[in-house]
Amino acid sequence: MVSLKLAVALGLVSAATGILLHDPSVLQVWLSGQSVVLRGAVLVVIPSLTFLVMLLSFGVAHDRAITRLSRAIETDSDGGSEIDKIDAPGWLQPVVNVFSTSVKRMAGECRQLRDQLSSVESHKFVVEAQKKQCEAVLHTFRDAVIVTDDADQIIMTNEAAGELFKFNVDEAAYQPFESIILHEKLRRLVRDTRQAGDIGQCRHAQIHIKLPVNTTTSEMTQETNFDVSLTCVGNQSGDVGSVVAVLHDMTHERELSELKTDFVSKASHELRTPLASIRAYIEMLIDGEASDESSRQEFYRVIQDEAERLSRLIDYLLNISRIEAGIVQIEKKEVSINALVDQAVSSISPQASNKGIEISLKLSPEGIRLEGDRDMLHQVILNLVSNAVKYTPESGKVTIVAEKDTLTPSLLVSVIDTGMGISPDEQRRIFDKFYRIDNYKQLAPGTGLGLTLCKHIVETLHHGHIGVESKLGMGAKFWFTIPLRQTNPRIAA
Amino acid sequence: MSTLTEKTSRILIVDDEAHILQVLSLKLRNAGYEVLSAGDGEEGLELALEELPDLIITDFQMPFMTGLEMCQALATNKETEEIPVIMLTARGHSLNDEDVSIGNIRHVVHKPFSPRAVLELVKSQLFGNNPRRDSQSSDSEAA
Repeated sequence: MVSLKLAVALGLVSAATGILLHDPSVLQVWLSGQSVVLRGAVLVVIPSLTFLVMLLSFGVAHDRAITRLSRAIETDSDGGSEIDKIDAPGWLQPVVNVFSTSVKRMAGECRQLRDQLSSVESHKFVVEAQKKQCEAVLHTFRDAVIVTDDADQIIMTNEAAGELFKFNVDEAAYQPFESIILHEKLRRLVRDTRQAGDIGQCRHAQIHIKLPVNTTTSEMTQETNFDVSLTCVGNQSGDVGSVVAVLHDMTHERELSELKTDFVSKASHELRTPLASIRAYIEMLIDGEASDESSRQEFYRVIQDEAERLSRLIDYLLNISRIEAGIVQIEKKEVSINALVDQAVSSISPQASNKGIEISLKLSPEGIRLEGDRDMLHQVILNLVSNAVKYTPESGKVTIVAEKDTLTPSLLVSVIDTGMGISPDEQRRIFDKFYRIDNYKQLAPGTGLGLTLCKHIVETLHHGHIGVESKLGMGAKFWFTIPLRQTNPRIAA
Repeated sequence: MSTLTEKTSRILIVDDEAHILQVLSLKLRNAGYEVLSAGDGEEGLELALEELPDLIITDFQMPFMTGLEMCQALATNKETEEIPVIMLTARGHSLNDEDVSIGNIRHVVHKPFSPRAVLELVKSQLFGNNPRRDSQSSDSEAA
């Protein structure tokens, strides 16, 4: 409303001023007829009003230009282009130019800052992600990890270290290393490593830590050997920043190494023994030490038997190694257990007859069929029956039972003999590679691998169980089970 | 051709492998020695203490008592401590010098072995000038 009134006033004043400027004589004529007061008033008021109108017109134009400039600055979003677009009056143009240049410069700086911020944020995200990955990896480690900073505070550690040195991982953060770790040798190693200052160089040492034998009886401890890897990590100024200590339990490696050495030693013994007989008897034949044909025949027989023993040993060793390495391809088909037992018994019957041993069968009349590798299962039954006949004294008895356990459901085969029995300690070791019971060695030759192979065939390849029950002097019962529904429950249902 | 001294020498062979026992016994008997045999360390020790043989050939790994344990036991007895021993082993290189320094073990022979070579060792031990644990000892006297 104010602007409307102002416009009307301005219009009237402009009209009057225009008439007077166009023809001043009009004013003179009009004034001559007026009073002195009115003439004076007109002569003062008109110029004043004219000046005022001009002043107002300039103010309004100025105000509009300033408003446009303000809006352009407000709405400018890409560095001065909006400011450049304003139609500024000539007097305002230098100001607009200054604004435009400043805004453009500031916009460029803002863009740079924005880019830097974005880069810092993305870098921060990467660093945080890497830290989380590191922590995740660290916590899955079985090795204990402890990282200390230049103030000897724990800056990173993991659950394995917490378990080993009995501390809470979260609470240990930024605590003095030596207040958390009481193991004197480890403390010294970390100190020495920091002092040596070989950045990036990994040094190794061995330490022993007393650990409980098992978690239930914490009073019993045993010395456990750990390999400690120690590395200095440099800081920005190139000095030693942190020391990383990684402790690796060597028990498994030592056991593995002992097992390997033991295996090589036993395998060497078992392979060399038949080879020794073969070589010695051949040489005796060459040297003419066998005095007659009968002795020579005896020598040939020994050579043949020992060559077969060697061949069997190699087969067993290879089969066991293949099963352990998981590279055995077994052919599972429907197998009749009664047929396998009959086959094994007919192979062993001659030896049993020679010793006057009776073999008795207790087989399920309807027969039991299962999915399995025929040759492998035959080997298991043959081995158990052969052992029973070999180690049962003359006129003894061997009973073979094959039955179905409907609860499990599984096949259960037992081979029961009337031999000298097996002590509990020997029962625990009888399935170990190359283990042979001292008392049995003189009764019959053996490889010490037959039962190991049986265990692998039953347990690894057919997911069953094998075991022995015996009392010294009371015979032995070797048994094994094979699940009858082991492949797909939907098929069996 | 064996001398009278060789023929009267008595040798104890101890091994749990019947074939090895049989083949070495025959080789030594054919060479004119008197042979005693035992199937394990315990039996070997008993026979050695009883018969005081001139030389013992024993396997290392045997049930009940190993050849090494038997040698250690023989070394503690005045009557048997000087009896030379030839140790047979199928254990590859698992026998170390420390083990065989106990007792009067003169040679370690690895299986498979040559009965002919063992006979030569026996001769050299019984009749040669044999320092302890010298595998290069001369057997010319017995040859």
